[in-house]
Amino acid sequence: MISVRGLTKQYGDVRAVDDLTFDVEPGKVTGFLGPNGAGKSTTMRMVLGLDRPTAGTATIAGRPYAALDAPLREVGALLDAGAVHPGRTGRAHLRIAARSNGIPLRRVEEVIGVVGLDPAARRRVRSYSLGMRQRLGIAGALLGDPPVLLFDEPVNGLDLDGVRWIRGLLRRFADEGRTVLVSSHLMSEMQLVADRLLVIGRGRMIADAAIDEVLHGLDGRRVRVRSPRVEELQAALAGRAETVRVADDEIEVRGLEVAAVGDAAHAARVPVHHLAEAEQSLEHAYLALTGDSVEHVGRLADTVAEVAR
Amino acid sequence: MSARSLRCTAAAEWSRIWTVRSSWLLAGVTALVVLSISILVGLEAADDPAGVPADASAWDGGRPTAMFALFGVLALAVVASTADHGTGGIVPTLQWTPRRHLLLVARVGVIALTTSALGVLLVAGAGSVVWSLVPEIGLPARQGAEVLGGVAIVLAAGAVMAVGLGLLLRSTAGGLVSVSALVLVLPMLLAQLPYGWSQELATVMPGSGALFLVFGEGPSDDMTTTSARLTLAVWALGALLTGGARLLRGDADR
Repeated sequence: MISVRGLTKQYGDVRAVDDLTFDVEPGKVTGFLGPNGAGKSTTMRMVLGLDRPTAGTATIAGRPYAALDAPLREVGALLDAGAVHPGRTGRAHLRIAARSNGIPLRRVEEVIGVVGLDPAARRRVRSYSLGMRQRLGIAGALLGDPPVLLFDEPVNGLDLDGVRWIRGLLRRFADEGRTVLVSSHLMSEMQLVADRLLVIGRGRMIADAAIDEVLHGLDGRRVRVRSPRVEELQAALAGRAETVRVADDEIEVRGLEVAAVGDAAHAARVPVHHLAEAEQSLEHAYLALTGDSVEHVGRLADTVAEVAR
Repeated sequence: MSARSLRCTAAAEWSRIWTVRSSWLLAGVTALVVLSISILVGLEAADDPAGVPADASAWDGGRPTAMFALFGVLALAVVASTADHGTGGIVPTLQWTPRRHLLLVARVGVIALTTSALGVLLVAGAGSVVWSLVPEIGLPARQGAEVLGGVAIVLAAGAVMAVGLGLLLRSTAGGLVSVSALVLVLPMLLAQLPYGWSQELATVMPGSGALFLVFGEGPSDDMTTTSARLTLAVWALGALLTGGARLLRGDADR
């Protein structure tokens, strides 16, 4: 379990992380979402003791990271795959990690096999692609077989096979009862893998909820109905739900379940050609949640948000 | 700080030094320069035995190489102590060893011991090379212990200062320039200026202390072995305290 209480980080006039409080529970993949500059990486760095918090605490299983005797056996983390000496071989990098925590060197060979780096392990890291560096970082995180895992953008640079592999890995870790915190800017990826979401913007917590709650909790469930007499259906639903005309023969109903909409149509004797819950994407929810919290906005942002709607 | 944690961290630091080519390159070049100079000194003495003082030993021939060993040791110490910050490797390093005081002790200890031991071995090798070329001048053990002991103090203090500066500046280029300035450029420059204050300042430069302990000569007649040792100790401690404070208190790579 990762526990963060009132975590704050100030850089001069900039408050990168502002009074964050959350728990990351075992047995779930917790996604950490937020726009660029929202403070995700800074938060993870403070959890790992790399940056000093201005205020607040972060503990892992009740202890600060810096108090852990053999941290690699307790927490595996990948923050920046590029943060490796380029002149060292992948195997040497992992061996140093193993030695620092008293982990047997045979475990290095095991994790090299797990991440599929066998042929490249004796090459110097400067010759690695971004995807290979990601795999090396993941190997380092797995070295101590830890119960807690933190990954910052783990699918960056991975090909499709790699993305599927990391997705399966995260799922498996959570199913094994481990605590998994993963940040990603890929909404579709989060939607596929996360059980719970922490959404932050401008360093502040925007949402801390199960992924279904995030998807449906913004403005309730949405139901799409197609009918040749949509005006009559709108009149029948008036006062009970908000309706929006999305096409000549289609409306979107907000605030009612599918069954209730069907019953209302039946009672009004309005024929229905299509009735289904509108598919909510995490991208919609994310844009709605973080719309006011984007640190770096270009003119394209409005267009993108509009297209997403 | 448990003994096991320190042992593990020190083992990782040792591996960190010797798993990059730059360390081997610096050690190799230093060895090449030191041994080449000792060969030249030995050949010159062998060619002109009359020019060798009667009370000279092979250690006197090996002694000049100590300054070259010092520069090699300092460069290796700076590179070893700044590589993590230069490459971003400090992030995984502090993930693996989040107790920063433990990392500081292991890093300073391993780098300073390794590099100064290497330097002492090279100077010992240089004396042996001179002796092998001019066997008649002898290689007395007692003088050897004296020379190598003095060299060890100079190299260890220099290495600690270099590691401290490396941790403070977090830049290989900055560390190398600073060390060169403190050990070579500033002592020479200040001693040459026609001002009393500059010459006094030159005597408290670490390079002057090193020069005095190796050759018994310095920019001022007032220098003594004690003052030279004190000068080196203050510089080493000062650099270590400031560099250590930055590692202990600062964010990992900002």
